[in-house]
This record gives sequence, C-alpha cells and structure tokens, in this order.
Amino acid sequence: MKYLSGLLLFTLSTLAFQLTAKQNYALVIVANTQNEDISITRRDVRNLFMGGVIKHELHAVILPPENETRVVFNTKVVGLTESRIQSYWAQMRFSGRKKEPREMVNEEQLIEYLKMNEGSIAYLSAQSTIPSELTVLLTIE
Amino acid sequence: MKILLLKYINTFSFLTLLLFSHSALCNPVNEKLEFSGFARVVLGYLDESDATYLGYDDNLSLSQQSLIAIQADYQILDNLSLTGQVIGHSGKERDSGVEWLYLTYNPNRFSQIKVGRQRTPFFNYSDVIDVGFSYPWITLPQQVYSSVFFSTFDGILAGYEWNVNGVVINAEAFWGSFNGDVVASGNEVDANINDLQGAILSLTYDNFNFRTAYHRTDAFIGLDNLDEFRNILDFSGFTQSAESLSADGEIEFFQIGASYENLDYFVRTEITNIKAESLVVPTIDSFFIAAGYNFFPYTSYISYGKTNSSYGDPINEIPLGINDQLNALSFGYDLVFSQLPYDSSESITIGTRWDWKSNIAIKVEATWIQTEQGSTANFAVLNPEFDRKAPLYQLALEWVF
Repeated sequence: MKYLSGLLLFTLSTLAFQLTAKQNYALVIVANTQNEDISITRRDVRNLFMGGVIKHELHAVILPPENETRVVFNTKVVGLTESRIQSYWAQMRFSGRKKEPREMVNEEQLIEYLKMNEGSIAYLSAQSTIPSELTVLLTIE
Repeated sequence: MKILLLKYINTFSFLTLLLFSHSALCNPVNEKLEFSGFARVVLGYLDESDATYLGYDDNLSLSQQSLIAIQADYQILDNLSLTGQVIGHSGKERDSGVEWLYLTYNPNRFSQIKVGRQRTPFFNYSDVIDVGFSYPWITLPQQVYSSVFFSTFDGILAGYEWNVNGVVINAEAFWGSFNGDVVASGNEVDANINDLQGAILSLTYDNFNFRTAYHRTDAFIGLDNLDEFRNILDFSGFTQSAESLSADGEIEFFQIGASYENLDYFVRTEITNIKAESLVVPTIDSFFIAAGYNFFPYTSYISYGKTNSSYGDPINEIPLGINDQLNALSFGYDLVFSQLPYDSSESITIGTRWDWKSNIAIKVEATWIQTEQGSTANFAVLNPEFDRKAPLYQLALEWVF
C-alpha cells in the first residue's frame, strides 16, 4: 500500500512537473517574408497549420510528431491531441481536399528550409536562435 | 459460383495490393510522384445465431471490412496534379479496383477543381468511409452511413475556401453520374444515377465545425422482380398503379453535421434525410450523436444512432370484387408494398481507440443493434424467431502510410 502511494505521488509529481514545463515552454512563429508588417493572430496560425486559408499567402512547415516543440504547439495553438491531428490529416488527404504541411526531421533542418524558401512559416522554441533572414511574427507564451 | 469467384478476385486484389504497397514503400520515388495509402484489418463477431449483420455471423471473421488502398499523386505542373487510388476489399459486397482517378487544378490558393472519378461527399465521412484511421469508430454509425449505396461518381467538383474574421468557410459544388451495381438491402441491383448534383458548406471556427449539404439526383434503379408485375398492371390499364411501382425518380439528400473537440473530449453529431420521389424507394430520417474522452494515446467514445424509413401511400386503382383475376392483382399490389424492406433501427456503440504509433491505431468496439419486428436494418435473418437484437464485437488495426 505504501509502495502504491509512493508510486502514485511520484507519477503525479512527474506529471505536474511536465505540465508546468509545457506551460512555461514559449514558442515563436517565424516566417521567411519580405513583409515585416504582417500581423498574424494565434487563430490565423491554427488555421494555417490545419490547412485553412488566411489573408497572407504563407505555407506551413512542421516538425515530426515526437518533437517536443510540436507537442507544445499542438497543445497551445491547435488545441488537439497528436492522434486527432493525424486522423484529421488522413481524412483531408484521402478525401483529396488538403495535404499536411511539409515535415522536417529536426529544428536545424527546419530553419535551413525556412531560410531557403520565401513564404514559408513554422513554429520554433522561443529558446532557438533565429537567423536574421527570418521574421518573428508571433510569440506564444 | 459468382460469389465464390468474387471472393477469389477480392482475395487476389487484396494480395496484389499488399505486394504492390510493399514494393511502392520500398522504392524511392521522385519528387513529383508520391505514394500513400491506408489499410485496415477488422475482426468481427456477431453474438447471434439467428441472423447476420453486415456479413458478420457468430464466427470470428476478418473478411467483411478489411481492405488496403494505394494512392498515387503525380504533380504534372505547379497547379495541376493527377491522383489515382486503387483499393482491395476483402468483403464481397464491395468492388475492388480503381476508386479514384482525377485531375486536380488549383487556379489559386483559394480554389480547387477536380475532374474524374471521385468519392461522393454525401455526408461527413462518406468520402473517407474506407479510411478507418480518420474516425474513432470501427464501423461508422450505420443508421446514417448504410443508407447511401454508391461511393463514387464520375464528374466535376469545384471548391472555394475563404476566411472571414477567423472563420474558415469552405464551399463545394459537384455534378456527375454513376452507373453500376449497388448493394441495397443485401441485394445487388443495377443503378443508373444521372445528373447527380451537390453543394456542401463547411464552417470551421477554432475547434468547432459545422457542415451542411444538399444533393439530388435522377435515379434509375433496376428492380427486375417488380418490372414484370408493373407490365401486367400497365397492360391491364392500371397505369398509375403501374407507375407507382417504378423505382425511378428524383432522390434528395439533406445533411447537417456539427462537432466540437478539444484536448480532452469531442462531441459530434449528424442529422440526415433522404427523400425519394418513387413510392418504392424509402424516405429515410437518421441521426447519430457521439461523445468521446481523450486520454492520450487513448480515446474512449460512446455513440447512439437511430434511423427510420417510410414509404409513400400506394395508389391501388384495381377494383375488388369483380373477378378473381382482379382480386389477385389487387392483393398482389398490396403485397408488394407490405413487403418493401423497412429499416427502423437504433444502436449504441462504445469503444476505445489506441493510437499506438502516429500512423497506426488499434480499436476495440462493441455495438448493440436493435430493430423492430419486420425491419431489416442490415440484418439478414436466418431464423424467423430472431428477436431483432444483437451485439457486434469488433477489433481493428488501422494503418495509414
């Protein structure tokens, strides 16, 4: 019984620590754009990364499912679990409506892609070093 | 013999696709050509010996809903692509082969035009009915989804999407036709669906989605067993009675669907109505409501579905009491209407989906189906004593690649 209570306490404290860590994990939305006056909202970002249109012509690039920044993005911006997002994209792809954003292996490759492709947009950890060629459009605390 | 042959063809198609998918996935393809696909293996057991349901009986079966499909997308130009999809079904009621073959033209980032063979987007999941990975259930609520009996059409679909104050609005319209065999109430009949038209409006605001659709068609459905009797009525001068037995005419489909979901739970509902001009094609009112709780990587859900079908009033012009032949004709006419398949059923489903990998899900599901005496509701009755209630248990592996 004592062992079980200890295990429960450990699990809960680990979970609480992870949740706090996720809540404190800030994100930046960066884009390769000539127009530095673009104003973009969290809702615009959600729509764009779920394949919807917004006022600005930007194409989303994403990180792989296991990436921590992606998990935080799903939680704070999309508001859906990874599995629901995967099933949504299966519905979009196999109904011929939309295709999921291009996926990069890691943040380094993602930054390289952003630098090379005008009009691309992605989320990164606020801790990342953002190259001068890219514009930070939004910070999500 | 035909069924046996179809079974062999289906098994052969299934194995061919499995081999092809393996080779497609193992071979690199160039940037313009992209392969993807989906597969499902569904194990089902109906705890009932007096009837079968969707082909399931009281033996474990893998062969009713298992399938594999390969999709190839070829980018011809920046704004023009060709998509093809071949599908292999294990179930004998569904044809294997080319499900899709169409060109997509994107004049700009707001609009899309597709020309060719496409899936018919009647309701929310009609165009992904085979992609089990895209929805929580193993078997979609049959009260809504068994009423539409053709899955593809040949024609043109145009879509336009825009954003108004954060609401993403998507409008689609299509026009086309379908010719071929369809399975209705367990019988394979020849159908000629001309002038199929539809319009769909979808609104998305954050995690809330609303969809409404209207479709209509002029259908010519071959009911061979009625044609002979119709000819006799027509020849005898009872033209209105004869005409009332024709399955041809306009069919209209209405749909309203809404969903809300967040990190913790989801709620989805869909209400549909199918209205037929013909007196021997039923008018069907259906709905389902589902709610689920996410505890990643699991989702548990419960859903309830209900459907009710009805027919128009018969037009019996045949006078009674004049002679035996006319009496028999009148009795025969009434008998036809009394024996039309009547589908009034409800079901409750509970299940859990486990997203084991980002592209593989395992699901377990139990459905309790109940229908009234005299109603078919996808049951094939083996014993007239059947009490019209049965539980269906299913286990599925869903895969997208």
